[in-house]
Amino acid sequence: MSPQIPAIHEIWVYLSGSPLLALVLTLAAYQAGLMVYERFDRNPLANPVAIAILIVATAITVIDMPYAKYFEGAQFVHFLLGTATVALAVPIYKGLGALRGRILPLLAALLAGGATSIASAVGIAKLMGADKAIVGGFWAKSVTAPIAMGVAERIEVSPTLTAVFAVTTGILGAILVRSVMNAAGVKAWWQRGFAVGVAAHGIGTSRAFSVHPEAGTYASLGMGLHGVLGAVLIPLAVRYLA
Amino acid sequence: MIAGLVQILVFQGLGEIVAKFFLPLIPGPVIGLVLLLAWLQVRGSVPASVDLVATAFAQNLGLLFIPAAVGVVMFWPSIRSHAVAVVAALLVSVVATMAVTGLVLRALAGDEPE
Repeated sequence: MSPQIPAIHEIWVYLSGSPLLALVLTLAAYQAGLMVYERFDRNPLANPVAIAILIVATAITVIDMPYAKYFEGAQFVHFLLGTATVALAVPIYKGLGALRGRILPLLAALLAGGATSIASAVGIAKLMGADKAIVGGFWAKSVTAPIAMGVAERIEVSPTLTAVFAVTTGILGAILVRSVMNAAGVKAWWQRGFAVGVAAHGIGTSRAFSVHPEAGTYASLGMGLHGVLGAVLIPLAVRYLA
Repeated sequence: MIAGLVQILVFQGLGEIVAKFFLPLIPGPVIGLVLLLAWLQVRGSVPASVDLVATAFAQNLGLLFIPAAVGVVMFWPSIRSHAVAVVAALLVSVVATMAVTGLVLRALAGDEPE
């Protein structure tokens, strides 16, 4: 009889009680997402984060794991979000040189773009009768997700919806940027890049880098500046306008 | 690697303290970002160890918001019943934001190529 092989459900009960399951699930899903993304030649539609979210959400639904339980384990990954946000100072620092001589048009465009993002998304969602939680998720959705989620906590809306809307916005922006810029007659690479960085943060930025290095540099700058200014201005806007 | 991580964590800690006591509306990590940025400006270069950690984070940033984003399962019924509004808001907004940002730049700076 001994050593006894534990029944499969005992192993299961043991595993689901430790953070390991949630951690492995999260990392494996992300890895799978990255593999699919590479396979499709980094097509924005095959976004690795969106794929990973789908995999994890499906998996915890199938194994009937409550979200709170999953998060308890995955919080170790979540914790690093703040550290990663601070580390964004490095790419922003490296991109600051691109500001030279163009700071005024870039700042004006950023403010106009940021205001448009909020007014259009929050406005449309409200007009079409979306509930309060959903409308709240639109405030910071054009800001890069790690900062957007910090802003969401400050303005007391759901960081989850904010993150999901931010990822979706990034994917849509990356797909649509070429047609929108052509239709608007915006030709200079730095202008096209900055626009996609402001509107569609990290996902738009990697799209911009894959098209043209100058577009990528300015997209990265647009994303960084929108992150910092958004974190300061969005809570003020919510306080005085909403 | 560890030296870089320690420096970044110190700035995160400073940011959290400033946020807690002076600027409660701004997320602590963003204040940490600005402080680190200021320090890099003063220093004039990025320490290699900090660069290493920052690059590792930047390359896998997406991984870090999966745990929170998976919470979307709890909002699923609500999103489904407002699906049209959600899709319309996301789609119109991203197109409008890109167009406005691009057009303002073009209006102020012209079509000058680099």
